[in-house]
Amino acid sequence: MRFHRLAVWLLIGLAGVSLAAVLAPGASYSRQDREQPFAAASPSHPAGTDALGRDRLVRTAAALVLSLAGASAAAALTTAAAAGVGASAAFATGAGRWLILLFCDIFLALPWLFLLMMVRSALPLTTSPARSAAVTFLILAALGWPACARAVYSGVLELKNADWMLQARAAGLRRSQTLLHVVPNLLPLLLPQFLVSVPAFVIAEANLGALGLGIGEPLPSWGGMLLELDNSAMLLQTRWVYFPVVLLILVLVLMEAILVEA
Amino acid sequence: MRKRVLAILAWLARMLAILILVITGTTILVRFAPGYLSDEREMDPRYAQAARVELTLEESRSHSLLQLVSTEVRGWLHGDFGLSRQFEVPVQELIQPRLAITGGLLLRSLFAGWVLAICVSIISSAGRDPSMHWQLPATLLLAIPTAAMATLCLLAGKGGPVLVMALLIAARDFKFLHRMLRQAWLEPYVLHARAQGITTSRLLVAHVLPSLAGQLAALASLSVVTALSALVPVEVIFNVPGLGQLAWNAALNRDLPVLLAITLIMAIAVTCCGMGPGRSPEGERA
Repeated sequence: MRFHRLAVWLLIGLAGVSLAAVLAPGASYSRQDREQPFAAASPSHPAGTDALGRDRLVRTAAALVLSLAGASAAAALTTAAAAGVGASAAFATGAGRWLILLFCDIFLALPWLFLLMMVRSALPLTTSPARSAAVTFLILAALGWPACARAVYSGVLELKNADWMLQARAAGLRRSQTLLHVVPNLLPLLLPQFLVSVPAFVIAEANLGALGLGIGEPLPSWGGMLLELDNSAMLLQTRWVYFPVVLLILVLVLMEAILVEA
Repeated sequence: MRKRVLAILAWLARMLAILILVITGTTILVRFAPGYLSDEREMDPRYAQAARVELTLEESRSHSLLQLVSTEVRGWLHGDFGLSRQFEVPVQELIQPRLAITGGLLLRSLFAGWVLAICVSIISSAGRDPSMHWQLPATLLLAIPTAAMATLCLLAGKGGPVLVMALLIAARDFKFLHRMLRQAWLEPYVLHARAQGITTSRLLVAHVLPSLAGQLAALASLSVVTALSALVPVEVIFNVPGLGQLAWNAALNRDLPVLLAITLIMAIAVTCCGMGPGRSPEGERA
């Protein structure tokens, strides 16, 4: 429990510091200092610069903020969609329920990474970086809900057959009214689903970016910074190239720690 | 016997229905992806007028969704995956030689991952203090994105694609296996058998593992899905000429027929692994 709290505070602290680094006066993730490519750590660039002379600390901080915000928004969307579909399946009867579950099965059978690559590659070449980020996280949200929907479906079924629910229905509660009682009781199930989705989406975005199909430049992303590791010249010049990877792993470990407790 | 045959027939019918729906769904998703109708070949000055006309025809065909889906389903039923936009050869010719490479990589990784996960979880679940020091390495491995793990292995000059995929599969499976085995060891009949003096290995082989067969099968299907999702970054980073690398190449070059064919092959693999006969649609997914 103590470690869980520590992880939550560390993650909040990291996000706060990153936001401060991005919003600091004079900080820019895209400004290039062509005089100082591959620069080592210095007072003006605490984590050095990349191949285009852009400040690595600001870029890493911006990647963290963007990734956490995008993954959280996508996770919220996917959890809401899963809650809707799962509850609809549990309250539906006969063919309706069968159809909804079949729909879930079809989405479960889709290999999400390939589909993500396919839709992402179909984007026009002139797509703006902000739009590419939004589309990436939207696709992640659109493909992440079925497994969660099945868990919600089982949870709602249990709640529907719970003693208190049977008693409430026997007392004359209408179907629409029972739904109002089911939703608050689903929160203990939805919160872990949300927390599972956030690191999964962060990892998915990093993997996609490392393949060159994630968020477009000059917006910083974990995947884009992982691509720097392919540059052997840069690896020889500075060890700060590993900084984004180490920070990403730290963030994901903290998320896993929060998840274990949840 | 009759029940079993009926169950297999029902499973086959369900599989076929899901596959047709997957083909339809994937085609619709691609058709409505923003930018599907824009083709950068139109900007290429080397393209002749005839080729431009062909592109316009292709685009007009794409406007009718029903026609697009029916062409796709018909082509697949005849074993025709279309023509690669990038290489201008039948997609089938590109896929066939790579299937064996990817299949071999998947099988070796799955085997190594399962063996590692089962061995570690047996040791960890049977011990007295199974919590932190076993969970930590698995958590750490799961926190590293596949692309980062593969790149770090490549930079260190240690390990290859099989090791990266096996570690990922083992870390994911270990979390479930450890919990399953821990629960199984605390079952009253297992505790009773232990008190009777039956050896741990005998208990494991004769009682614990058979009782977990259903859950292990579900976990195995999950492992295949995990391995498939790690396939692209691993093949790309280690330069393995398999389906993952082909898909990545097709994605970068907007070669949608190739990408669509590979996506559907993967969807078939996931469907076949995830829904064995006798498992209800509500069946557990680890």
